[in-house]
Amino acid sequence: MAVDIIVCIKQVPNPEHFSKISLDPVTKTINREGIPVITNPWDKNALEEGLRIRERFSGKVVVLSMGPPQTRKSLEEALAMGADEAFLLCDRAFAAADTLATAYTLARGIQKIGHFDLVLCGNETVDSGTGQVGPQIAQFLSITCVTNVKEITFQEERKLIVKRALESGHMKVKVELPALLAVGQEINKPRLITAFGIMQAAEREPRVWGCEDIGAERDSIGGEGSPTRVLETLEHRPKRKGKIMTGSPEEMVKKAIERLREMGGLI
Amino acid sequence: MDFNLTRQQEMLRDAVHEFADAELAPRALELDEKGEFPFDIVKRTAEMGLVGIMTPKEYDGTEMGHLARMIAIEEISRVYPPLGFFFQTGHLGHWSLQTYGTEEQKKKYLPPLCRGEMVICDAITEPSGGSDPTTTQTTAELAGNEFIINGRKVYITLAGVADLACVLAKTDDKFNEILVEKGTPGFEITRREHLAGFRTTPVNEVAFTNCRVPKSNLIGQEGKGLGIGLSAISVIGRTGVAGIGLGIARGCYEAALKFAKERQLYGKPIGELQAIQFALVDMNVEIEATKWLSYYAAWQIDQGKGIREIGVDIARAKLLGCDLANKVAPKAVQIMGGYGLSEEYHVVRRLRDALHLFPAAGTQEIMKVTIGRSIMA
Amino acid sequence: MSQEVWIFAEQSQGKLLPVSLELLAKGQELSYRLGGKLAAILVGGEVRKLAFELMDYGCEKVYMAEDPQLSLYQGDFYADLLARLISENKPEIVLWGATIIGRELAPWVAAKLKTGLTAHCTDLYIEEIDEEPRLVQVVSGWGGNMSLQIVCNTNPQMATVKPGLMAKPPQRKVTGEIIPIDVDIIKNVVAGRMGQSRAETVEITEEEPEVTPLEEAEVVIAGGWGLNSLGDFQLVEQLAQVLGGAVAGTRPAFDKGWITESRIIGQSGKIVSPKLFISLGASGAPQFTTGLEKSQIILAVDQNPKAPIFEIADIGIVGSLQIILPLLIKELKQKRL
Repeated sequence: MAVDIIVCIKQVPNPEHFSKISLDPVTKTINREGIPVITNPWDKNALEEGLRIRERFSGKVVVLSMGPPQTRKSLEEALAMGADEAFLLCDRAFAAADTLATAYTLARGIQKIGHFDLVLCGNETVDSGTGQVGPQIAQFLSITCVTNVKEITFQEERKLIVKRALESGHMKVKVELPALLAVGQEINKPRLITAFGIMQAAEREPRVWGCEDIGAERDSIGGEGSPTRVLETLEHRPKRKGKIMTGSPEEMVKKAIERLREMGGLI
Repeated sequence: MDFNLTRQQEMLRDAVHEFADAELAPRALELDEKGEFPFDIVKRTAEMGLVGIMTPKEYDGTEMGHLARMIAIEEISRVYPPLGFFFQTGHLGHWSLQTYGTEEQKKKYLPPLCRGEMVICDAITEPSGGSDPTTTQTTAELAGNEFIINGRKVYITLAGVADLACVLAKTDDKFNEILVEKGTPGFEITRREHLAGFRTTPVNEVAFTNCRVPKSNLIGQEGKGLGIGLSAISVIGRTGVAGIGLGIARGCYEAALKFAKERQLYGKPIGELQAIQFALVDMNVEIEATKWLSYYAAWQIDQGKGIREIGVDIARAKLLGCDLANKVAPKAVQIMGGYGLSEEYHVVRRLRDALHLFPAAGTQEIMKVTIGRSIMA
Repeated sequence: MSQEVWIFAEQSQGKLLPVSLELLAKGQELSYRLGGKLAAILVGGEVRKLAFELMDYGCEKVYMAEDPQLSLYQGDFYADLLARLISENKPEIVLWGATIIGRELAPWVAAKLKTGLTAHCTDLYIEEIDEEPRLVQVVSGWGGNMSLQIVCNTNPQMATVKPGLMAKPPQRKVTGEIIPIDVDIIKNVVAGRMGQSRAETVEITEEEPEVTPLEEAEVVIAGGWGLNSLGDFQLVEQLAQVLGGAVAGTRPAFDKGWITESRIIGQSGKIVSPKLFISLGASGAPQFTTGLEKSQIILAVDQNPKAPIFEIADIGIVGSLQIILPLLIKELKQKRL
């Protein structure tokens, strides 16, 4: 039984460097230049899960991403991790997309890749963290979806039992393929890339597709296809007129408690 | 000139970097305190494809080359130098076999070595000294189809845990490199050194007493052993030392830099104080310089250039790499004040490890002799 | 267009989630501004009494879908149902709680309606844009360093809000109407998809949280990297006990193993707005402070006088945690006696 899997990944700025992202006060655009990038960690969990499923059954693991040319690096890493093929959706027209336009574009890419049984993606990204793209891709592909998945068990051909994490507890869901599953980080520990993987992937290159290649409608992609837009971006530095306590440690603590009492902070 | 690493080399660096942070860093202190050779970690590096990184694929290697090897050793040594030392020394016999061995020897030993199932040590140094191997006293008398080996070797890294030893011995007035398997009667490990650093890579004394090995254990051509031994030390040992030196230096520099950005004095980070900042700048600049010079040496090996041509480049790399680590580590300890002396903060352990680079793969003075000979010619 | 403001009133096991009420408060504000009614969507097995509870908090209309098949969340079913309901009635705005279910359902429905959705809004208000009253959706970005104002040019305008961010509405009983929704159409549609791409929730297993969820705590005490000097979280827990508060921490504290993931405060964790928030040994990186800015009173202790946390603290103590924390615990214990 072969299970063909498509994994959607995203390249994001490294969260450790978020504080360096600045706002141009004149153009009001975000300046991300020089910020190191990484593959969204949740997407690595998704890829790992795909590779584990392939180890059990046969089938292909294909990785897809939408992004600027530097996204190549994440796709090359995915190939080195063990993916069979990689596709990059790259086109000026895809830029400035909100989650709806992004999901549409990725769905068109998936349709262009062709046959699939399962689409996997990370539950959310570390930069925007909306978690919206997964379910929206599912809708464009007219397949069902389950998010926040922490365990996938295959029962029989095309039937799975999936555990979805809840705020306190979990949900058991029966899934019939094809489906999209958005996975959480507890589902697995992604394997490290090895020299073996790097050399095996040496001959494989990600293929690049633009708007025409995937037959995307211009008014559904990029900024044009985005119902939401950013009206204004502001630097956020919340401030309060607080008081720093002075004196010896004992005095500082006493004063702080007194002030708390005054402010009504102590019940 | 294209100074870019290939994308495979870049990916390798990232992969080994991640491996070192995830699997070596949490255990570094515990490993050093126990002082036992980490077989399980060596196995992991084999799974990562690093033990056979310069070995052809047909022998279970990943054939990424010597620059990739240097980068891997650098990234590992950034976090846990003793493991870098394992590669520096363990690869000596490994490479000799790979380059000069018979097909039969290669098929027999390279796959288990690449898989981390076997360890090989390189036995050259003797009580009389190591800088001049021509004074080797250990003999390998040829008797029919056997060599009978007699002698003592000292400061042999990994001998205590090795399955194989690659031994330099004298037959008549010529030298041979001969493989001796662990457990061969007449071959004993007689002592383990208690050293300042590299606590988990054992360094031992070994003795051969009428140790008989088949003639088929000869590596390479009869009488050519000295050349084999020396080329291994150059191509593998010295580049390894450069990698370890770079790794130790970078690890210490990064720790000191982080500390300097966080530690406050007179109301600002100490990194803003010029004396400290300039010290960090010096580290930064010297690391970069050593890096490019060392990478160039390794790159040339990958280009197929012969030892004769690049022996000096390799000697420079060892010379600078060793000096770099031994400059940066103590300075980093200084910058970090009390924390710099604490075992938990790793810099002081790297400082002890750095000392071991002085005599490794030839002393600093020997490097200068090599380069001096070349410029005076 | 109906000018109505709708909220998705999520319920679980016959109980309304607190966020559903929090959404009502904001929904009320918005519906006043628009001059329309405040309505809720309620879906479940037996949820009639919840409809009345919603009306206790000012909800004027409850679109209610009741069916045994809907007692557990069923993605395909709920998404279809809600999309139909919304496209038939055309509310101006729909608000959702950013719960695990909400974060799946809202985008699914948004894609069905081909409309926009903004996640994790920290503020929502109406503003005239091109001479039309539109919903401005404020989100924090890039680890809390930036604040973005987003608008949607299609209807309905939809947004999700994290539980615990907004205050509950005051009780305001209204006589509302319950509008039952016919689910049979949807049942047929869903049944027609048997054998092809379905997800069916079989059961829910609840795990009792050992402690009060952070979002509901009145007092939250969070420890950060500075606790390193103490080696563990014991004193943080002691302080929490004395004040009857909940223990939380920064992401570095989680990485150190001092807290579980559900106790992380910040952009990638929980947003809380307790009466009192105490920050111990956390320098105040935006990724962290974005999770506590809405607290009523913030007390911070850190050894670095320049730590950014002091910019948003109401009360600050600069000193070594090793000295200050035990003193703080001792003084508070005495006051309690």
